[in-house]
Amino acid sequence: MNFAPETSIDIASAVNRATAPSAESKLKVEKLNFFYGDNHALKNINFEIPEKRVTAMIGPSGCGKSTLLRIFNRMYQLYPGQRAEGKILFDGADLLSKDLDSTVVRSRIGMVFQKPTPFPMSIYDNIAFGVRLHERLSKAQMDERVEWCLRKAAIWEETKDRLHTSALGMSGGQQQRLCIARTIAVRPEVILLDEPTSALDPISTSKIEDLIDELKQEFTIVIVTHNMQQAARCADITSFFYLGELIEVAASNEIFTNPREARTRDYITGRFG
Amino acid sequence: MSSLARRRATDYTVKAISTAFAALALLLLAWILWTLVIRGLPALGPHVFTRMTLPPGAGGGLLNAIVGSLIQIGIALVVGTPIGLMCGTFLAEQGRNTQVGNAVRFVNDVLLSAPSILIGLFVYQILVMPFGGFSGWAGAVALAIIVIPVVVRTTEDMLNLVPIGLREAAFALGAPQWKVVTFITWRAARAGIVTGILLAVARAAGETAPLLFTSLGNNSWSLDMNSPMASLPIAIYQYAASPFEDWVALAWAGALIITVGVLTLNILSRLVLAKMK
Repeated sequence: MNFAPETSIDIASAVNRATAPSAESKLKVEKLNFFYGDNHALKNINFEIPEKRVTAMIGPSGCGKSTLLRIFNRMYQLYPGQRAEGKILFDGADLLSKDLDSTVVRSRIGMVFQKPTPFPMSIYDNIAFGVRLHERLSKAQMDERVEWCLRKAAIWEETKDRLHTSALGMSGGQQQRLCIARTIAVRPEVILLDEPTSALDPISTSKIEDLIDELKQEFTIVIVTHNMQQAARCADITSFFYLGELIEVAASNEIFTNPREARTRDYITGRFG
Repeated sequence: MSSLARRRATDYTVKAISTAFAALALLLLAWILWTLVIRGLPALGPHVFTRMTLPPGAGGGLLNAIVGSLIQIGIALVVGTPIGLMCGTFLAEQGRNTQVGNAVRFVNDVLLSAPSILIGLFVYQILVMPFGGFSGWAGAVALAIIVIPVVVRTTEDMLNLVPIGLREAAFALGAPQWKVVTFITWRAARAGIVTGILLAVARAAGETAPLLFTSLGNNSWSLDMNSPMASLPIAIYQYAASPFEDWVALAWAGALIITVGVLTLNILSRLVLAKMK
């Protein structure tokens, strides 16, 4: 097998093929290196995430895909000892620079986690909590915002009669859609999804996949997944990571039918991972 | 014996032993409560709550001791809870795996297990000697020092039980740390934190040693925090060792009052927390 570092990944043409008419890049990763203490977890990553498209990141556990996702909204900064070098341009500004405030970055780049994480409060307050952090709305405006994002997350019909009951009483799939609604409510530009369906049953999973399709009209979406069918179904672009390196980026239909790299082929055909 | 039969026998024996010891522990507890009720209940009457402590044979009650205890515990709570809560929050949210955090945690554990008479002596040194006498304030401060380490410990433990994912979810919405703590982690750990505070109240309510050197006790009615103040544990201590029958009976009544008071507080808070959920 050839493990020599890939020298040129033709991202622009891959993106263009996948997303005609061509999309602007929303996030541009340049020469990114990341360290957990002494552990060099991401190695010289160069990567572009196109606007209003779904970009999937796949690869075996420990390959660095979740790490990269958590750099985009600066979650790594909560933990001393984690360190990023390089640049991530977000609408032209460097995400890694200290000049940008973390709370502002996170309001523009939202994140949904693997396990549903409803706050211990009512469904309504789960959504209002995030909105109140950034905006002062009247009661009527807040009601409107809550309904808007619950509709967007395809969960309004199930929740409209129980908005003021605890969110902890919902099913796992409902909780995850509430978490997506809560993220949308802040009106971010980018939504990061970290294995959003791995804790859910097939029906909830397909609801969330439909939702992702819907949401890309308005938001740029980056999804980390272990489920290759999910990447093939949902994503316009798929990227394959292995041992901290970005091995290949291509339009999803291309990477799953005709990968250029041997390692990509071995992974998607289940020979390792 | 077949291996299955042996395993069943082992299982049966271990179950029998653990059940027996659980029963023994419960029996001791029931015995204490039973004695308390048998001795305390007959001595309990309206006079206990309406009359001051009086000389033997004069038909006195425990009113000044009950009120004194309530005041000193109340002040100890008002002083100790915020300090303990904030300190426990620091340890769980900022002080994890830091040197300062570990040092604070260690000192707190020492304080938690310090004999309470030492705390009494300490407050005697800093508040009674320099200010010229025993006082209600000194008693309240001594009880606050009992309350603080209990609240610190339980708050930290309860906050540590809140999943990291919940904090990350709040941070991911763009919340600053103080909002994550006050709106999310405190709320998630609410029931446990309140239980910790109640545990501290129960502990403070029964302490005698720290009060001996600080508020001393007072046989007449006094709400003056600058002079000696009566309290239930001190009254029990004083009366139980006396040769007078009516004083001994009052001591039992006092012990029952403390126990029932703490129990009621516990049950009430559980009901309130259950309703809040």
